[in-house]
Amino acid sequence: MPNMPVCSRAVSSGRRRACGVGVVALGVAMASVLAACGGGSLSSDSGSESSESVKIGLVVPASGVYEPLGIDLTRGFELYLEQHDGKLGGKDVEVVKADEGEGPDKGVPATTKVITQDRVGAVVGLVNSATALGVKDTLTSSKTPLIVANAGADTLADGSKYIWRTSFTNGAVGEALGAEVAKEVGGEPVYLMASDYAAGRESVAGFKKSFEAAGGKVADEAYTPFGTTNDYQPYLSKIPRSGAKAVYVFYAGAEAVNFVKQYDAFGLAKDAPLYGAGFLTEGGVLKAQGAAADKIKTSLHYSDQIDSPENKEFVDAYTEAYDAAPTVYSVQAYDAAAVLDQALEKADKTDGESIAEALGEVGEIASPRGTWSFDDDHNPDQPYFLREVQSTGGAPVNAILSPLND
Amino acid sequence: MGWLDANLVSILNGLALGGLLFLIAVGLSLVFGTMDVLNLAHGAVSLAGAYVGVAVLSPSAGFGDFVVALLIAAALGLVLGAGLAAMTHMVSGHLRQALLTLGIALVAGDVLREIFGADVESVPAPLGLDGSIDVLGNAYPVYRLVVIGVAAVIALVLYLLLDRTQLGALVRATVADRGMVEALGVRSDLVLAGVFALGAALAAVGGLLAAPVLGAAPGLDDTILLLALVVVVVGGLGSVRGALMGALLVGQVQTVGVSLLPDQASFLLFGAMALVLLVKPRGLFPVQGVSGANP
Repeated sequence: MPNMPVCSRAVSSGRRRACGVGVVALGVAMASVLAACGGGSLSSDSGSESSESVKIGLVVPASGVYEPLGIDLTRGFELYLEQHDGKLGGKDVEVVKADEGEGPDKGVPATTKVITQDRVGAVVGLVNSATALGVKDTLTSSKTPLIVANAGADTLADGSKYIWRTSFTNGAVGEALGAEVAKEVGGEPVYLMASDYAAGRESVAGFKKSFEAAGGKVADEAYTPFGTTNDYQPYLSKIPRSGAKAVYVFYAGAEAVNFVKQYDAFGLAKDAPLYGAGFLTEGGVLKAQGAAADKIKTSLHYSDQIDSPENKEFVDAYTEAYDAAPTVYSVQAYDAAAVLDQALEKADKTDGESIAEALGEVGEIASPRGTWSFDDDHNPDQPYFLREVQSTGGAPVNAILSPLND
Repeated sequence: MGWLDANLVSILNGLALGGLLFLIAVGLSLVFGTMDVLNLAHGAVSLAGAYVGVAVLSPSAGFGDFVVALLIAAALGLVLGAGLAAMTHMVSGHLRQALLTLGIALVAGDVLREIFGADVESVPAPLGLDGSIDVLGNAYPVYRLVVIGVAAVIALVLYLLLDRTQLGALVRATVADRGMVEALGVRSDLVLAGVFALGAALAAVGGLLAAPVLGAAPGLDDTILLLALVVVVVGGLGSVRGALMGALLVGQVQTVGVSLLPDQASFLLFGAMALVLLVKPRGLFPVQGVSGANP
């Protein structure tokens, strides 16, 4: 008989009870350790240094729940480099990669490492806003500029000399849609729902601002625990009883898939049209949602369906290189490279201080999403689009209905 | 009456969630009850079952295809369970076994990510069961009603198997007095490996049945494992009845509870668990007979 040193079978039932609970407590602790563990780092080491080369740190998730975003970001950045012979602003680029992981526990050390150890001239990437906020001081003290290619916390870049953003602010994406929804529902109340963390709250706040300014009425609001909600039925069944005739939500990733499928399965889709920030139906999640996503309308600053020569060229090159359609994340990183291209052209040296200064002189960026430029807070002043999920001829896509002018 | 009307769908949905949780958690509970092994790779086995659906089922898969997928998942679970039983047999002590299964869970999670990618995958409900029907004026997905039925049938079969058959008696005897069973000429390690394999098969089947509701994605294995552990603790370690009651309770807490107290949603699950442990430290239905509680 195998021995059980911790909990022997021979002990009294009282001892055994304490043992059983103790073992399960151990199990619970280990299960939560599981969540914190991730993959390894991807850093490649530095090579030779010449005056005409520059090191750029690319810090995006290579593990954890944001890995799909990390893949798209890397592809967008590398595509731009490939199209420009590996040069930005005429200087050879050496890319140093590091794994951002899921949260600041991994992302902050990874970013600090490329700054202090690899001594990069600029950092590109960061998906998680908490990570971006966590490295703010390091950027300032080391005088290294960061080009945020995704993280959307509203005030992240405000007042920092070293943070620039090619992506979006959570509030702006929601705000772009508010007036349009107010017009479409014609005075009927709208229900607001979001994942209960900063991005969800900021997105709803942005939406509400322009929605109420345009005369919209809010039926009610609900915030669901972030990362632990698998079943939205208890929240969904409140929507018809609130009298709402439409719903605005912020969900992303796996939560977006479950939410959209359940919204459809519980029969809400036909009575109350679903609106959301574009991440609800962007990239891989749209494929997983399938037919349940049909007719969802979202606001975002990109869709691979944009009908412009710049975008067509970009989509063709991207699809050729990676055998996949580009997402908003690909474009954000592609544009981060374009921004650096301009800045390095203007910078006289390749240290962080010079690049940061040159970033202030970057003008308009001709991007697949349309032409945009930095505003006073270093956030993109960009066009937003009203998109609708349509499946004409097979796979669902985010078709562009109209521009949303803010 | 108004309250019941408003919450009927939530109660029904709590049954469906509870059913899924039961299928997944009962294996964990049985393995702990009979072998005294806390299998932390249980969530990974369950997720592997869900990925069987991703690999095998097309969006237009019918009922027959789904049954085939369930059989494949069950077979995969049996194999994985037998393997886990062999490996945990080689080490002794709760801590070592927990570390071993935790390591296996980490490796399995990464292997699944390598094979299926990091994107969220969805598994379609079988054609014909993918719609909604009207339940007292509320739309409710047919598939979730079917899940309630399947879970009820499996719970009944499991109860009869363990309580009314000679095979069940052999399992119970092995737990109660392994030396005596071996003296009668039965290889007790094979009996226990069988229980482990059965538990893992149920986890894989439960994972596949849950896939049309929860999807399949990296990280889901941890979520499943944590929920299963809560179910097992609430219900009482090692008993089928405890796992069933624990699962049903957790299901209702996650639906009706959240519906009534949406602002406290994050704390409800563990709050309920703490409350149960305060009142009944051994869980709702502590083991008697079926597990090794009695010396």
